[in-house]
Amino acid sequence: MDEFQEILQDFLVESFELIEQLDQDLVELESRPEDLELLNGIFRVAHTVKGASSFLNFDVLTHLTHHMEDVLNKARHGDLVIDANIMDVILESIDLMKTLLHLIRDTSSDAGVDVSACVSRLDKVSGGTGEVESPVATPAVEEPKAEETPAETAEEELDYDNMSDADVEAEIERLLAERQEQDKAKRAAKIAAGESVPEAPPAPMEENSAKPEQESAPAPVPKPAPVPVAPKAAPAKEKSDDTVAAAPATRTPAVVEQTIRVDVKRLDHLMNLIGELVLAKNRLIKINDDVEERYEGEEFLEELNQVVSIVSLVTTDLQIAVMKTRMLPVGKVFNKFPRMIRDLTRELNKKMELEISGEETELDKSIVEEIGDPLVHIIRNSCDHGIEMPDVRLAAGKPEVGTISLKAYNEGNAIVIQIDDDGKGLDAEMLKAKSLEKGVITEKEAEIMSEKEAFALIFKPGFSTAASVTSVSGRGVGMDVVKTNIEKLNGIIDIESTIGKGTSLKLKIPLTLAIIQALLVGVQEEHYAIPLASVLETVRISKDEIFSVENRSVLRLRNEVLSLVHIGDIFEVERILDSSEHAYVVVLGLGSSKIGLIVDSLIGQEEIVIKSLGDYLTGVEGIAGATIRGDGGVTLIVDVAALMTMAKGVKVPAMMEESSSATKEKTKASDYTVMIVDDSKTDRTIMRKALEPIGITLVEAADGQEALNILKQGDHTFDAMLVDIEMPRMDGYTLATEIKKYNRYKNLPLIAVTSRTGKSDRMRGVESGMVEYITKPYSADYLLSVVQRNVNFKSEFL
Amino acid sequence: MSDKLKEIINKQSKQADSAINHTDDIVQLVGFIIGQEEYAVPILTIQEIIKPIAWTRVPQTPKYILGVFNLRGSVIPLIDLRVKFGLKPKKHNEETRFFVLKQGDDVAGFVIDRLTMALRIKKSDIGPAPDSVAGDDSMIDGVGKQNDKILTILKVKKLLERDF
Repeated sequence: MDEFQEILQDFLVESFELIEQLDQDLVELESRPEDLELLNGIFRVAHTVKGASSFLNFDVLTHLTHHMEDVLNKARHGDLVIDANIMDVILESIDLMKTLLHLIRDTSSDAGVDVSACVSRLDKVSGGTGEVESPVATPAVEEPKAEETPAETAEEELDYDNMSDADVEAEIERLLAERQEQDKAKRAAKIAAGESVPEAPPAPMEENSAKPEQESAPAPVPKPAPVPVAPKAAPAKEKSDDTVAAAPATRTPAVVEQTIRVDVKRLDHLMNLIGELVLAKNRLIKINDDVEERYEGEEFLEELNQVVSIVSLVTTDLQIAVMKTRMLPVGKVFNKFPRMIRDLTRELNKKMELEISGEETELDKSIVEEIGDPLVHIIRNSCDHGIEMPDVRLAAGKPEVGTISLKAYNEGNAIVIQIDDDGKGLDAEMLKAKSLEKGVITEKEAEIMSEKEAFALIFKPGFSTAASVTSVSGRGVGMDVVKTNIEKLNGIIDIESTIGKGTSLKLKIPLTLAIIQALLVGVQEEHYAIPLASVLETVRISKDEIFSVENRSVLRLRNEVLSLVHIGDIFEVERILDSSEHAYVVVLGLGSSKIGLIVDSLIGQEEIVIKSLGDYLTGVEGIAGATIRGDGGVTLIVDVAALMTMAKGVKVPAMMEESSSATKEKTKASDYTVMIVDDSKTDRTIMRKALEPIGITLVEAADGQEALNILKQGDHTFDAMLVDIEMPRMDGYTLATEIKKYNRYKNLPLIAVTSRTGKSDRMRGVESGMVEYITKPYSADYLLSVVQRNVNFKSEFL
Repeated sequence: MSDKLKEIINKQSKQADSAINHTDDIVQLVGFIIGQEEYAVPILTIQEIIKPIAWTRVPQTPKYILGVFNLRGSVIPLIDLRVKFGLKPKKHNEETRFFVLKQGDDVAGFVIDRLTMALRIKKSDIGPAPDSVAGDDSMIDGVGKQNDKILTILKVKKLLERDF
């Protein structure tokens, strides 16, 4: 079935593309019913879909589109003026067409949808015109009209005959479609295969558009009143000649865009590869820095530097270029809104207008797809709750017609989508009262709430401002869904409102999802990446600037009180290292909420490639994903929105330190553990020989680095360490300094064993935290006594 | 026209179907040790076996999830089978390996104590899991007998399934 599937796929892709444009065109058409070009465009869509669907044997769809085509064709020839009622029927049929296409996409069949009601309405519109409604055959239309009117009437009578037996009619239609299919098979195949996409060349167009007329002629022949048929078909053809001849002339310039249709998967793959490249670039830069440090002044460094900068430059350009290929104009989403507003206008009996600007602004495809639903929700909300009824508006001295404006524009590395309405605005007090009533906030919270925070209440789960739930906005999902969706895209929502003047919502969304700028922070030995978009600032504070209010740490930053949370408390980081008296606070902002995140160190800004944690680990709270760093390690990316929620649950003052490590009672000599750190095997053996007799446990390390690793592993609890000063990799002083950084080992006695006897050496030893200083050579007894003293060796074990 | 098309397409799909299906009665497994027991997984589910490398802890996860590691650009979860099987965690040593198992799109690394060997077992030598541990929730697919020893064959699908 592969070939068939392929054709089907192309057909669906093309049809959906055509329909997307259709909605907008139709709404426009309503305001400008005389626009032939628009009409032609719409007609072509119906026609193309009909042709392809008949080729693919989708009878129901063919049946429907055929009737749409009829109506549109009449309108095209001026036999019919599109008014709101007719438009309703057409829009209804287009919705039905969409349903059918979706059905075909999902099940590869169009069976099971009843189109007969819609078809008969379409027929009524196209056929019943001459008789039922006079405004249709507008007097403004030229002479041929007069001749045609009787024809219309006659045909309409025919239709009544047919409609009395709808099945027969359907059968005839089907047979017709099949016959057409023979003729058009080749052409339709071409169209369906997506070769000469929406605009078919003018010649076949003309042929096609004329055909339904000609072919509908023979069908009624066996029935009475064959006479009017011929005159009707003739002028129709004549006209279509005119219109078609005119159309290409104006249309062609816009069509000559050179495009290739590419599978999204390929682009995604390309994006992934670029991601890898960015990672490799980061790594290269890191290596370059290392090399620079080590071989300062060498000549080849310059060359290396040049290569690295070229690679990084090209990588950045490449990344932008690929990103651009994935960009779609946001108009793709905006297109469906005029139609929506139109429907809502009728549904809610309000008068509204939609102004769209900046629809050419581009966004990553994945974002464009994600942003549709939140926007629908926001706009529905504006229509339902924002814009007042016409009489209320007039009474308030506003124009009767409410305006909703939808704007998109670039701002730095982000795109802003702004939705304004000139409705009644948000009432902060009313919002607070409602939230109190629903238990979303407490009275205390309401008191201290700023106006902006009150506006943000509409995004709280369980909140709905509509007193009565309507089908328009009260669909059980609140604006909180909008917020979650936008935040999923790393976006920010800002809301402004004036009572009586209107509301303005700003969505700030990053241009792409895959690669972002991030601030890397360190906590203990772990690193985390925070999306730079949500970082407002970083400050270095001393610990006594942190106050505790109601069990929560807060910081007074300029004139604001910022609540603080330690990143380690959120991510359950074990506090091994002692934190200094200074702390870094990363101020995070998301919409109107702010929080200070305490971290141990700031590492820097880096461009990171977002990778998912995979299915197994999705939904880990507070983690948005992971990235691979220049050194090949994995760094987790903080989900700022989730972090803010989690922070509320952390009640412990961030700087509280628990003093654990309860020392176990020593019950035998081997419970005492001493580490011997010396690079000389002989020295280690001498010390071991001296200490072994009393039966304590001994662990050996050949240098400072190894010793530190053993400590970090935490397999043993050491009671003392014997440290040589002169060692490769890490000397005794450095080791001592490192060890003292750990809370757990703060009180671990470090005994220097060295041949260095100078006074400055001793001083350095004390400074780095050594408690005893044994100079080589020493007697075994002396060493033993010093160790016993420092580990508080109980005499009963001797 | 479309009938003809369908006919051709049908013919083609029939040809594809008629390709002969080989059913081998030998199963190839790779055995490994966790604690005192020997376990095995089908060789085709193993993407690769690597020596331990650095990993990053992921907060808010169960104890047996050590974190994630970087396997040539992919971020892959790392699961300690010792802890998962209720044993005490053990320091990684020379013999520790990461088993990277893959089924469909699911990939994860598993820490095992020691690798034994690749083995071929006749299907007839594989018995069902004991009743007490069998069932959909069990991680055990069956019990293989070879010479004097018994090894537990694990369900890779179950291993790769998130259960928290």
